[in-house]
Amino acid sequence: MKKMNEAQLAELEQDLNAIRDDVLADLGERDALYIRRVIRLHRSLEIAGRVMMPFGFIPPVFVAATAALGLSKIIENMEIGHNVMHGQYDWMNDPSLHSLTYEWDTVCSGDSWRRTHNYEHHTYTNIIGKDRDYGYAVLRLSEDEKWRPTHALQFINYVLLSVFFQWGVGLHELEAERLHSREIRLRDKIPFIKEFLRKGGRQAFKDYVFFPLITFPVAPIVLAGNVCANLMRNLWSSTVIFCGHFTQDAETFSEQECEGESKGHWYLRQMTGSSNFSGGKLVHLLSGHLSYQIEHHVFPDLPAHRYPEISERVQEVCRKHDLPYNTGSFSHQYGTVLKRILAYSLPDAMRRKLPQLTSGQPI
Amino acid sequence: MSAKQIQNSRLHWLGRQLFNREDPAAYLDLLLERINPMWVQGYTPARVEQIIQETADTRTFVLKPSRRWSGFQAGQHVNIGTDVNGVRQHRTFSLSSSPELWQQQGLITLTIKRLPGGLVTNWLHDHLETGSVLGLGDAFGDFLLPESGQPLLFIAGGSGITPILSQLETMAARDYLAPVTLLYYVRTQADIIARDRLEALASRLPDLTLNIIATHAQEQPRYLNGQDLEAVPEIQSRQVYLCGPGGLMDLAGTLLSSQGVTEDRIHCTFFSAPVVDTANLNPGGLVHFDRSHLDVDSEGNANLLDIAEAAGLNPKHGCRMGICHQCSCRKSSGTVINTLTGKVSGPGEETVQLCISVPRGPVTLDI
Repeated sequence: MKKMNEAQLAELEQDLNAIRDDVLADLGERDALYIRRVIRLHRSLEIAGRVMMPFGFIPPVFVAATAALGLSKIIENMEIGHNVMHGQYDWMNDPSLHSLTYEWDTVCSGDSWRRTHNYEHHTYTNIIGKDRDYGYAVLRLSEDEKWRPTHALQFINYVLLSVFFQWGVGLHELEAERLHSREIRLRDKIPFIKEFLRKGGRQAFKDYVFFPLITFPVAPIVLAGNVCANLMRNLWSSTVIFCGHFTQDAETFSEQECEGESKGHWYLRQMTGSSNFSGGKLVHLLSGHLSYQIEHHVFPDLPAHRYPEISERVQEVCRKHDLPYNTGSFSHQYGTVLKRILAYSLPDAMRRKLPQLTSGQPI
Repeated sequence: MSAKQIQNSRLHWLGRQLFNREDPAAYLDLLLERINPMWVQGYTPARVEQIIQETADTRTFVLKPSRRWSGFQAGQHVNIGTDVNGVRQHRTFSLSSSPELWQQQGLITLTIKRLPGGLVTNWLHDHLETGSVLGLGDAFGDFLLPESGQPLLFIAGGSGITPILSQLETMAARDYLAPVTLLYYVRTQADIIARDRLEALASRLPDLTLNIIATHAQEQPRYLNGQDLEAVPEIQSRQVYLCGPGGLMDLAGTLLSSQGVTEDRIHCTFFSAPVVDTANLNPGGLVHFDRSHLDVDSEGNANLLDIAEAAGLNPKHGCRMGICHQCSCRKSSGTVINTLTGKVSGPGEETVQLCISVPRGPVTLDI
């Protein structure tokens, strides 16, 4: 990571705080109209998907219904749920958009997410050993973790994680790897397991029992459509999230260098540990504006639809302080993610002999 | 539980499973609102039917609440909610109409004066028009008329007349038979709210004595005095109802007690919450916001809501005067002073209202 002295870090902190203060002072009607428009879009897509699904025995209708329901889940999870739970709209004082009580349409409970994502991941971003989102304790993505033979097959694990992403995220707080190493005991996780079963059960009941049953004669079609819609959301959100921190140039940090860090250093870590991808308005909406992962990590509680305009100013700060601003097209960034997963599945000695795996270009 | 209640609670359970929220009925509100704002389920909507200009700075808003609203008793208040520049604001106002009007025509009225610099009252005056929709809370408050026909004395100042209008209307509708006196203090003749309604009430209530006094009509202010009270026959046997600014309330309290009116006969309601001086209770302390992982040191009379907001947090809140309980929050440890009562809390886990709680030593909150 680029080294900066405390005075430089303090200046970085000031520059970023100034952006934040300007946006906070400007929050108002425009942001409220935006998020409510997105919610109306979500509700409309969900209704369209659920209503069309029983007529899915007509193939084009099946495709349309699945796409509508899948898109609605993507928008709810990414642009509404994730962002509302970050407190981006708390200032609106609308009880249905408050970070402490919002519950989203996925297996992971809001409370578990607030603990593992808002707190652990956003505080300890990319610190190996502290940020359990780094590789999700399933993948080896940097040299900081010692290679073991099981890592050789980690690409399969990656595909499985993406396919069952909502269940993986839901079980994240179980800390299976620490249970396995006996660092923690199963009985300490009983409250979490109960919460997981309640929320996971609720989600499975809705999509795989209730809606198929009330359309009984066509239950298999509705079930299949709902499975596909969930799969669509799983693959997309997994991909977006992997592009946020596991691209080639996204940096990692050690616990040691972050001990007692200043806010300026935290900002530096957020900026160098995250990566963006470019795209049109629709891509940004569907990614919950996590395509602006750098801006999101610097300002996790500012309304995400503001990131495109904030981005200009963040890039200015990067140029001023000579910091990298990691961005690229979606396919480029995702390519480097896939390469990273493959590269670190190999022992370090072997990886270093393959320059095409360590260069900054996608395969 | 009746069969209908069981059915409702089952539906509610199912709704929670399907829509992931405690108020599943509100899931489609933003779509329904586009079709008809009165179909919203997340709050009780009330549509503005008519706006009456009472004085230069006071208007009466005639509202038609959705039929599921639970109604009120004369003298009670309601919280209303509205979005001002994207932020939902709640304020408390007295109802100025009678429950009979609600029962017979489904209408209620709020009489609202612009407060200088007030965010919500000015917004309501500037932006509400016929057809606008507000959120309406349940009615509350114990500024209520006695059951039987006892002699009464009302003392009102300025827009403090609003709950008393509701009470007088109610008494007229119920043919109240007992002497009633209203002493109504306004700055000038031009500031009299609902003058026509008051005069009409005087003719409908034969035992009503109406005395409107302008305090600033002449150079020398003319406030409530002992003679005003001496002119009220058999004042000791009356129930007294006070509503007005703090100065008038204090003055009335002193003068009434010198007239021999006992405290149990005096009923008050406030515009704004009276704030206890907490200075001698050692206020201030370190507030730990547990969920936000934030510690903030506070000094003096600052309440927990202000402290949280100054630290950049946005806890849910409403009236900011200890009435609506929207800012209620779990305190896991620490002692707080209630600014309404001056009472000091216990040190343990309990629910506190942020807007009227001042920390006294370290406090940990579940925010």
